[in-house]
Order: sequence, then structure tokens, then C-alpha cells
Amino acid sequence: MPLDYSLLESGNEISNQTYTLGQKEVALYLEAVQDKSSREFDKSGIELSPPMAVAALSLRGVVVDLQIPGGTLHVGQEMEFLNSVKVGETLRCVASLASNNVRGEWRFMVVSLIVLNSSGLSVMKGKSTIMLPA
Amino acid sequence: MKLGADLIPIKKMITMDQIRMYADASGDYNPIHINEAFGKNSQFGRNIGHGMMAAATISEIMAESFGTAWYNTGKMKMRFRSPVYPGDEIQTSGQIKKLEDTTNSSHITCTVIITRQDGEVIISGEASVKVDKPASAGD
Repeated sequence: MPLDYSLLESGNEISNQTYTLGQKEVALYLEAVQDKSSREFDKSGIELSPPMAVAALSLRGVVVDLQIPGGTLHVGQEMEFLNSVKVGETLRCVASLASNNVRGEWRFMVVSLIVLNSSGLSVMKGKSTIMLPA
Repeated sequence: MKLGADLIPIKKMITMDQIRMYADASGDYNPIHINEAFGKNSQFGRNIGHGMMAAATISEIMAESFGTAWYNTGKMKMRFRSPVYPGDEIQTSGQIKKLEDTTNSSHITCTVIITRQDGEVIISGEASVKVDKPASAGD
């Protein structure tokens, strides 16, 4: 059933999904963005996920659960990486609506994002501003 | 790292194959990115790349300059100003604009920018990171 965006209010949770960022997912991400920077490892030698792979994951549920229509544009992004993420970690990505306004032919939504690891520790938070055809 | 110092810039070609790969990696299959007919009928007249795919290059230059500190303490604030198209060559650069020292760490703020081959700005913003100072000999 299509979402009626006009009914969404600030504070509404719009997505709550759990994903595993494994070796395969990280490799696909690195190939897609042609990231040639040195890989980083934690003190025990476990490879760390690139922060922007975590950021991309944080938006995955938003795209699906908010039923983002074709033609939607991403106009702004804030991110804060709070703790590194090991490759293979399972992450919970929660998104809630921070604002929802119509201006002219476009609907502007600001979505707050938070990503937690399996211990409940926040690893990333952020805000996405998207512009949907109204 | 000194005030006004440049981060090492990078250049990349954006291809349709990469855009499709990024759609798979991110789960963002918005047809404006991957459907040729949809792109042609859009306000852009063609497909556009994901903003976050281009923005990944900012994270790359920050990671290259600051290592794991970027993974643990990095912050970015960006505005997507103009689309990136398949076939574009983008250049990502950054410059240190603020350095705040405390006893044990430095908070470094950089202006960051991504431009296309024609000089148009695709993304502009700010990225910051907190870097621990090496322990002194007496510590």
C-alpha cells in the first residue's frame, strides 16, 4: 500500500532494520566507489568497515520502508562516525522523521539516522535531507 | 598537519557500471540512477550517480589522511549541489581550515569539495576529525 507522506510527522520511526556488513558487502562497496585508501584494522587485527559503507547501510532501510519514489533527490547529508565497525558486524539501522514540509512542487524530508552495533553501542548517527516530488 | 594544508586530492571516473554496482551495494535502485528511459525523461535528461557514491571520495581522502581516527571520530556535513553523470571525471579535494589543540588531541576541520571536469561543484561541505597526540617521552 503506498504511503501517504502528508501523514508522516516529525518523530515517527520510518525504518528499523538489521543488516550484517560482511566481507562480501564491503568488497562490493569498495569496488563500487573505487576506494583505494589503505584498509584499517583494529588492535586485534580485524579489518574495519569503511565508514561510508556503514552510512550507505543506514540509508538502505529508508529507501525501502519509506517507499522512496523514482525522481527523489538526496540534497544534503550529515554524518558522525562514533565508533569503528568491524567487517562482519551486525548493525541495527534506525531512521526517524525529523521534518516533513512541502515547498512548491517538492516535499522536503529530513531523516535522522542512528546505527547501533550488536552491543547496542552507537556507531554512527546522521541526518539526510531528501526532496521528493510532492 | 598545518592550517591551510591541502589533503591529497583524488580523481575518479564515474561510469554506469559503477552506478549499478553502487545500487547493489547500497540497495538504492531509484530509477533516476539506473533506468535509462527514466533518466531521459527526468529534469536531468539522463541518469545521475548516487550522491553518496561521490561523497565516498571525501571519506576516502579523510581516511587516507587520518587513518582510524576518521573511522572513530569523523564528522561530515555536505550539500549535494549538482548531479554527477556517467562519464564525468570528478576531483575531490580538501584543505585544513581550523585546528583546535587540547592537551591530548587535535580537532581538525577541513573544507571539502568535489568538482566535475568542467569545474562545476557537485558536493561541498566540511569534514572534521579528532586526532590523538602522540604520548610525550615523559608519559
